[in-house]
Amino acid sequence: MSETTAIKKDSRFTKVTQWTAAFTLLIIIVIPLIMVIMRSFSIDGTWQLSAPIELIAQSDLGSVYVNSLYLGLLVVLGSTLLALPLAFLMTKTDFKRHKWLDTILIVPFMTPPYIASMGWMLFMQSRGILESVFPSVNLLQRGFFSVYGIAMIMSFNLFPFLYLILKNALLKINSSLEEAGAVHGGSFQYRLKRIIFPLMISPLAMGALLVFVKTISEFGTPATLGRQIGYYVLTTEIYQYTSSWPIDFGRAAAISSVLLVTSMTIWFVQTWINTRYTWQTLGSKSKQTKEYTLGKWRYLVWLYVGGVLLLAIGVPYFSMIATSLMNTRGAGLAWSNFTFRHFQAVLTPGSQGYRGIVTSIQLALAAATLAAVLGTFYALTVVKSKGKIKGFIDSSSLISNTIPAVVVIVGLIFFWNHPNNPFAVYNTSSMVILAYVVLFLPFTVQYVKSSAQQIDNSLYQAARVGGASRWFIFKKITLPLIWPGIIAGWIMTFIISTRELIASLMIRPPGMVTTATYIFGQFEQGNASQGMAMALITVTLTVVVMVAVQRMQKGARRFE
Amino acid sequence: MKNKMMKKVSGIVGLGTAFLLISACAAADGSDEPLVVYSAGPGGLAESLAEGFTQETGREVDLFQSTTGSVVGRLEAEMDNPAADVVILASWPSGMDLMERELLHTYADAENADLLNEGWNGDNQLFGYSASALGITYNTELIEQAGEDWADYTDEEFNGLVAMPDPSESGSALDFIAGYLSDQGDSGWALFEELVENDLEVAGANRPALDSVINGANGVVLAGVDYMAYSVMEQGEPIDIHYASSGTVVNPRPAMILDSSERKEAAEQFIDYLLSDGAQEIVADDYLLPGRSDIDAHPDRVPFEDINELDIDWEWMMEEQENINERFQESIR
Repeated sequence: MSETTAIKKDSRFTKVTQWTAAFTLLIIIVIPLIMVIMRSFSIDGTWQLSAPIELIAQSDLGSVYVNSLYLGLLVVLGSTLLALPLAFLMTKTDFKRHKWLDTILIVPFMTPPYIASMGWMLFMQSRGILESVFPSVNLLQRGFFSVYGIAMIMSFNLFPFLYLILKNALLKINSSLEEAGAVHGGSFQYRLKRIIFPLMISPLAMGALLVFVKTISEFGTPATLGRQIGYYVLTTEIYQYTSSWPIDFGRAAAISSVLLVTSMTIWFVQTWINTRYTWQTLGSKSKQTKEYTLGKWRYLVWLYVGGVLLLAIGVPYFSMIATSLMNTRGAGLAWSNFTFRHFQAVLTPGSQGYRGIVTSIQLALAAATLAAVLGTFYALTVVKSKGKIKGFIDSSSLISNTIPAVVVIVGLIFFWNHPNNPFAVYNTSSMVILAYVVLFLPFTVQYVKSSAQQIDNSLYQAARVGGASRWFIFKKITLPLIWPGIIAGWIMTFIISTRELIASLMIRPPGMVTTATYIFGQFEQGNASQGMAMALITVTLTVVVMVAVQRMQKGARRFE
Repeated sequence: MKNKMMKKVSGIVGLGTAFLLISACAAADGSDEPLVVYSAGPGGLAESLAEGFTQETGREVDLFQSTTGSVVGRLEAEMDNPAADVVILASWPSGMDLMERELLHTYADAENADLLNEGWNGDNQLFGYSASALGITYNTELIEQAGEDWADYTDEEFNGLVAMPDPSESGSALDFIAGYLSDQGDSGWALFEELVENDLEVAGANRPALDSVINGANGVVLAGVDYMAYSVMEQGEPIDIHYASSGTVVNPRPAMILDSSERKEAAEQFIDYLLSDGAQEIVADDYLLPGRSDIDAHPDRVPFEDINELDIDWEWMMEEQENINERFQESIR
C-alpha cells in the first residue's frame, strides 16, 4: 500500500465517522430541541413570531417566570453563604487537615433533591418528626413551608458544587501575592479585601451562575414542596401542561423555549466572564499557601461545620429513616410504633416496589452502556476533528448539560411521538433508555475527551510506523488510556439513571415503574413510609455501586 | 467500490446506534400481547383488579396507574399513537367527554351490566363499575366539632385548617366543584371564594390532601374521596368522615374501551371481569361503592342509599369542567 492511499483512506475514515457522529446527534438531540422552539412559534398551526410572548402575556406565566428567577437568586445566595466560608476554611486555615469533609460533602450533592425535599417536609410539617420531639416550633414551620424552605433545601443540595469551584480557585491563588501583601504591612482584613477577594470574583460569579442555571432547571424540589405550597416555577408548569389534563403542548413548548433561552443566556454570560476576568495569577496550583491558625475560633468553626452537616445530611436522612420505620405516621416517634413492614412491602418479589428496583437497574445498565459507547465515539471523533464539524459534534454532545432536562424531554416527546415518526419507539422502555442516554451523555463525553486529549500523538505515529492497523491501535493504545474515563462516565450515568425522576415520569410506558416514579407516586397517592423505604434502598444501591467499583479498580491495580 | 461499501456500512452502523438498538426491546406483535390499562387510583385496587384479570384469563396487563388528570393527559398526548385499550377514570364527566368525542367502543353485551346502579351505565360505553362519594374528612384530634355542611368551613374557626384536592389533578375534586355549581348555579362560586379567603389550601391529588390532615398540617379536607379516608381509619389513624348535610357528589368511576384498541376482545373480557362478582367484592373490600346494586358495600362504611346527593347535571358538568377548572385555578394562584 502506498503512503498516499493510506492517508487518503485515513481522511475518508475520519470523514465517515464525523458524519456518522453528526447525523446521530442531529437525530437524538438537535432536531428534538429545534422542534420545541418551532412549536412555540406556532398557534393552531399558523406561524407567528410573537407567539411565545403572547402566550406568556396571556396567562399568568409572568409570575411563574418571576418565581423561577427569584428562587434562583435565593439559592445562589444560600449556597454562597454555605460554600464560601467552608472553602476558605478548607484552603487557608489549619482546618484543612480535616479532609474527610470533602468526602462527606458528596452526600448532599448525590442525594436526589426530590428525596431530600420529601425528608424535609416529613420532618417539618405540623405533627411531623420535629414537632414530636420539640412541640413548640410553629414559627419554624411557617418559615419552612414557603419559598425560603424550597431555597434552603436546594441550597443544601447545590452548595457542595459551589464549594468545589471556590476551593479550587482559592488553591490556585499564588501565596507569594499574599506574602507580598504581608511583608508590606497589610493586615489580614486588608489582604482579604485587596488580594483574595478581587481574585475570587470571577470564580464566584461563574459558580453562582452555574448554581442559578441548575436551580431554574431543577424539577424535584419545586414538584414536591413547591406544589404543596402553591409555588409554581417554569419546570413544574412544563410538566403540568404536558402530563395533566388539560394538556397544552403549545404552552409547554413556549415555556420550554423561555427556559431554554434563559439558561443559554446565562451560560454565555458565564463563558464571557470566564474569558474576561481570569487573571494570570490564577494560573497554576501553588505549592505552599499561607495557612492561618484558628486558635480559639475553632470552636465557632466546629459549631458552624456541625450545623451545616446536621442540616444538609442529618435532618433529611434522619427523617427518611424514621418515616420508613414508622407503623402509622399519626403515632409519631415511639418504639411501639416501630416496624420493618414498609421495607418488606418494597422488597417482596413481585411487588410494585420490587419491580421498580429491578426495572431501574435494568434501564440504568442499558443506558450507561449505550452512553459509554456513544459518548466514547463522540469524544474520540471530537478529539480527532477540526473546524465547524468538530464544534457541532462537541457542543451538541454536551448540550444536555447546559439546558434543563425537562426541555430535552419535551423535545424527545415531540420528536418520537410525532405521527410521522416511523419508529415505534415511543411508549416502550427503549424510549426511557434513550432519554437517559441523551440526558447523561455529557458525562462520558467529558471524561473520555479529557483523557483522550492527553494521549500524545507520537504514540499513534509510532504505531503507524510499526504498521499497526487502525483497530489494533484503538485496542492497544487508545482504549487502555481512555478506559478510566469510560468507567467514570459509566458509573455516573448508571447512578443517576437509577433515580432519575423527570424523564421517567414523563415518558415511561404503561406498566413501567421505576424507583423514582414509585417514590413520587407513593408520596402523592400512596404511603409515604414505603416511599421513604424505597428512597433509602436507592441511596444504599448508589453507595454499594460506588464502593464496589472502587474496590474493583484497586484490585485491578494490584493485579498489574 | 470499497469506499462505497464503507459508507454504506457506517451509514447502517450510524442508523443502528440511533434506531435499531433502541427499538430492539419493542414488543413483538401477537395476540398474547398484554392488555394496556390506564387507570386512575387507588393504586392497590387497580393492581389487584389487574392481577385478578390475569388469573382468570391468563392475559397479562400493562398498567399505567396515576391520577385522572394524568391519565386523561396521557391519552391526549398520545392521541396520534394511542396505546391504551381500557381506561378507568375517577370522574364520570371526564368519561363522558371521551364518549362525546367518539373515542369509545360500544360493548352492548357486557355481562351483568343490567345490574349496575341506575344511571351508572353510559350508553354501553361507560361502565360505572365502582363509585366514590366525596366526604368531609377531618382529624379527630384537631377538630372537636366538625362542620355539618360545606358552608360551615368558611367560618373563622376553621381559618387555615381546611384543605381541598387540586381539581386539575384530582378528577373527583373537580366533579365536586362542578357538581356543587350545577346544583347551586353561578352563585355557588361564593362558597369557593369564601373558602379561599379563609386560607383554603389546595394540595395536590387526594392523597397529599388527606396526608396533610393525617399529620395535622390541616384539620379537614373537603371533597376528598371517602374510600381513602375509610382505609386510613382502618390503619388506626385519627381520622373520621361524614357527608355534607346539603348533599354531595357520588361519582361513578367509569371503565371504558377505547375505539382505537386493537385488542377489543380482551378489553371486553376486562369489562366483564370488572362487573363480575369477584371483582365487585374486591371493589367493596377497598371501601369503594360497588357498581352493581346487588353487591353490598363494606360494612364499615356508609352505604350508597344513606348518602344525600346534590341535584346534578352530568352533561352540563362535562361541558363546563374545563372552564370551571380554569376559573378555580385563577382564583387560587
